[in-house]
Amino acid sequence: MSAQPLSSNDNDAPITPITPKEGAPASTRKLPPPEKPSDVRRRSHVILSFWLIVLILGLPIWWKTTTIYRADLPLQEMLEWADGKACRPVFPLRISIQATSLQDQEAQNLLRLTQHALDDLNDFAGHHLRLQLGDEKLDSADNGSALIIRLTPGEGTTATLDPYEPILDITYPPNTIPSPTASSSPLATYIASQLRTTFAEEQATISYLLSTNSMPSEHRPLGLSPETTESLAKRTTRSLKYAPTYHLTFSLFTSGPLPSSWNIEGAIDEYMKPVLEVLSPIHNFTIDTQVQLYASPGVQNQILNKEDLSSFINAAEWPLSPSIGGAPTINFIVFIGNQTIANPSQDSPTSQSWLIPQWGTVYLLSLPDDTTHVAAATLKQPLLTFTSHLLSLTGTPESGSLPLRLSTLARIRSADLLLRASSTLGSLARLAMALPSISIPSSVADGVTKTMSHLRLACDNLGGTEGLAHARIAEAEAERAFFEKSMVGQLYFPDEHKIAVYLPLLGPVAVPLVMGLINEIKAWRKRRRERAEKGAEKKEQ
Amino acid sequence: MKLTSLLLPLALLGAAPSYAEHTSNWAVLVCTSRFWFNYRHLANVLSIYRTVKRLGIPDSQIILMLPDDMACNPRNAFPGTVYSNADRAVDLYGDNIEVDYRGYEVTVENFIRLLTDRVGEEMPRSKRLLTDDRSNILVYMTGHGGNEFLKFQDAEEIGAWDLADAFEQMWEKRRYHEILFMIDTCQANTMYSKLYSPNIIATGSSELDQSSYSHHADNDIGVAVIDRYTYYNLEFLESEVKDTSSKKTVGDLFDSYSYEKIHSHAGVRYDLFKGGADEARRRLVTDFFGNVQNVEVGTTTNSSFEEEMVKLSRTIAELHKRAEEQEAAERNATASASVNAGTEKRLQQQRKIQQVAKPLTDDNWWTKKIVGATALAGCAALWGWGRIWRVWYEELLRRTILHRRSVSISRLGSSRAHRCFAGHPRSNSDNPRPTTSHKQSSRVESWGG
Repeated sequence: MSAQPLSSNDNDAPITPITPKEGAPASTRKLPPPEKPSDVRRRSHVILSFWLIVLILGLPIWWKTTTIYRADLPLQEMLEWADGKACRPVFPLRISIQATSLQDQEAQNLLRLTQHALDDLNDFAGHHLRLQLGDEKLDSADNGSALIIRLTPGEGTTATLDPYEPILDITYPPNTIPSPTASSSPLATYIASQLRTTFAEEQATISYLLSTNSMPSEHRPLGLSPETTESLAKRTTRSLKYAPTYHLTFSLFTSGPLPSSWNIEGAIDEYMKPVLEVLSPIHNFTIDTQVQLYASPGVQNQILNKEDLSSFINAAEWPLSPSIGGAPTINFIVFIGNQTIANPSQDSPTSQSWLIPQWGTVYLLSLPDDTTHVAAATLKQPLLTFTSHLLSLTGTPESGSLPLRLSTLARIRSADLLLRASSTLGSLARLAMALPSISIPSSVADGVTKTMSHLRLACDNLGGTEGLAHARIAEAEAERAFFEKSMVGQLYFPDEHKIAVYLPLLGPVAVPLVMGLINEIKAWRKRRRERAEKGAEKKEQ
Repeated sequence: MKLTSLLLPLALLGAAPSYAEHTSNWAVLVCTSRFWFNYRHLANVLSIYRTVKRLGIPDSQIILMLPDDMACNPRNAFPGTVYSNADRAVDLYGDNIEVDYRGYEVTVENFIRLLTDRVGEEMPRSKRLLTDDRSNILVYMTGHGGNEFLKFQDAEEIGAWDLADAFEQMWEKRRYHEILFMIDTCQANTMYSKLYSPNIIATGSSELDQSSYSHHADNDIGVAVIDRYTYYNLEFLESEVKDTSSKKTVGDLFDSYSYEKIHSHAGVRYDLFKGGADEARRRLVTDFFGNVQNVEVGTTTNSSFEEEMVKLSRTIAELHKRAEEQEAAERNATASASVNAGTEKRLQQQRKIQQVAKPLTDDNWWTKKIVGATALAGCAALWGWGRIWRVWYEELLRRTILHRRSVSISRLGSSRAHRCFAGHPRSNSDNPRPTTSHKQSSRVESWGG
């Protein structure tokens, strides 16, 4: 603002300032009246109070409301978990030997030799079989051993797995008991190799799991043949991600009006319930069923090729995802029709079902045209197929007796969960570092702490029964922490946007404030100089 | 022997990533514009929706975002229908359509939440992208965009960086196997320029500073019904990819784009894809637009094994049950009295708990109360303090004035009141506001930018 007063009106007499400035030009121009000192002071008070409000109130509020809260995460530790440095997954499986017919001394000796033989055979340090002498009374659940070897004297050397309990029955001719001085014994070697074949699949699966995850190479076991790797890869592709609960949907689709009812409840009770019950320590299951009439499949060919099978399901029209609850759904479909699956090789009988990885199973059932009700007995074959497919969809190993397969499944799942929770932690840590503008609420930090403590517990109990429970909690907590709802928002604001937001808001406010401050400082300095000059004049006088 | 031991680890290394096989296909189809004159954007999305559904992706794996309802728009001459072609052969709305996000639910936040799956417990599964590391995702977006942004609903926009960060979060959490990102908007290619996560093939309709044009208008509907880029994509998909057994590759699809057809330079980005352009171009169209799984045909019809298994598990379950019952019986015998007392107490507690009214969200309830109370108290204190301060200040003023007056009485007369206000003579020649000359395109086509 140029301080050019209106003036040069000759009518108005020039007004002489009270304190004429030293060396000021002759007062031809009109000047405003002098300010009263009280006004000057008041003005500076006003300016000061404005600035105080801005600095004391405004600035902290702005700071407080615009800073992003980021809880401290133990990033280093989280990354260590993800890299597999924090936990070395070891599966020490305890195996009890029950040898009632042997002397204690003999049994100890046999155990020592077998352990030696086992250690020689084993090439994967993570999976470790430890033998111990067991008591007759204790069963496997009580002492936490994975398998019991029951030694009984007999005719020849045989080994059979007990179908109901994790027991390996081994018979031996009495003369094969090693003498206390022997350094090796054929019986011990036999037991060791039997144990090894029993646990071969579990070992392979676990070492495959570790190798596909980001474990450091020194923990990574080698020695899987490419074929094994391939079949394991296929199996992991097929099996669903672990969830504590699965929802099973049984659907009956028929292309016409019949059959319109089925005794699915009886069939499930008869052919599937038992398996669901033995799986119950690992998974819960919820079940629903439906019947859909006049459902046309996606492919109408009489003979279905392998390519047709994946488009057989008419996804557009069949109501297949009821999305009830939060559990992932496994679909089991019985389709009534006379279509058949093309047979690749003539020697094997035609198959009637196919498995869709991570999704479920379709079974083609041909019935007489006038069937109105499908009896439970008719559903026997489909349900048995579904049952065995369910086991493979949940990732159950294929070899060994059922109890052993289930306990192996629990161990594989806990290792899987442990690895997944660890990798989630790593993702979260990397994300927190990569996106500095993302907010991290304290609940995330809590979740991370909880995850890590449970991971530690799971890691220490991997071979035992506690492992799965802890790994499950750890995984759930890690997921919750990663998917924290408030950790979203538009993460990235370019600087132009910030200017565009702040300028119209703060510009008009800031200009008078800053200008006022500058003017005030100028005036203050002028006054000081004047005072100093006055003082000097007085001294001179 | 030596050779095999050397080869084995190599084979392993080679084998580990080669299992690359997806087990599910998902599609995220997003339209971002409202209002009748953006009819073509909704038609774009709906025609892609129809295509992926035709190729077998179930509704549960399609996330469809429609910000407006053209079928029920009062200006629609054909109520209840949406067409993407003037021949009106196919009603895209049909009778089997599942819109997951509708109207004002289509926001940038919801879109990012969808991709990153940061949703609340209350979100139904059908509205979530429940993908894993074996899922291929088709992300198709259309709307009005510009340099590195896409406008959502006239109110907000998603930046290319936001999108890139969202994809990165998905990659970090292993939420996809491969992504095909398609976008039909003005300056579309800028939207994928910031992506940095692996295994994404990206394609867009137009370069920087290029508009994306509509294909043709329907005179009865009165607006353009489809955009050029989408139209020619659909043409390829309808004519070349008749069903899921089609072996047409993504490369074939991209080669079908030309400036003559689309009237802008469609772009493709391969560099994020593992294996680069060659590998990306070899992917089948149905890897993204269809739902093709590698099914396993059941091998045996021999049921004896399975029957055996069921029998076995029944016995095992019985054994378990018996063991549990035994255990329970033992426990009951020893501690039935204490259990009874315990349940009684628990019941009482439950009753008590029920009586206490609880707020719906219990997080920080007390903190909020305290903050509120403090704020109120603060206001009261401020008011009171102001009163006191004013009284005090007035008192002070009175005193100083009195003091001044006594001082200045002696000086009276030496100064004269001066009430002249110095104002500026301002020329009022305000420039007439320059009217920005809008270049109206003479085409019949409307443009998307």
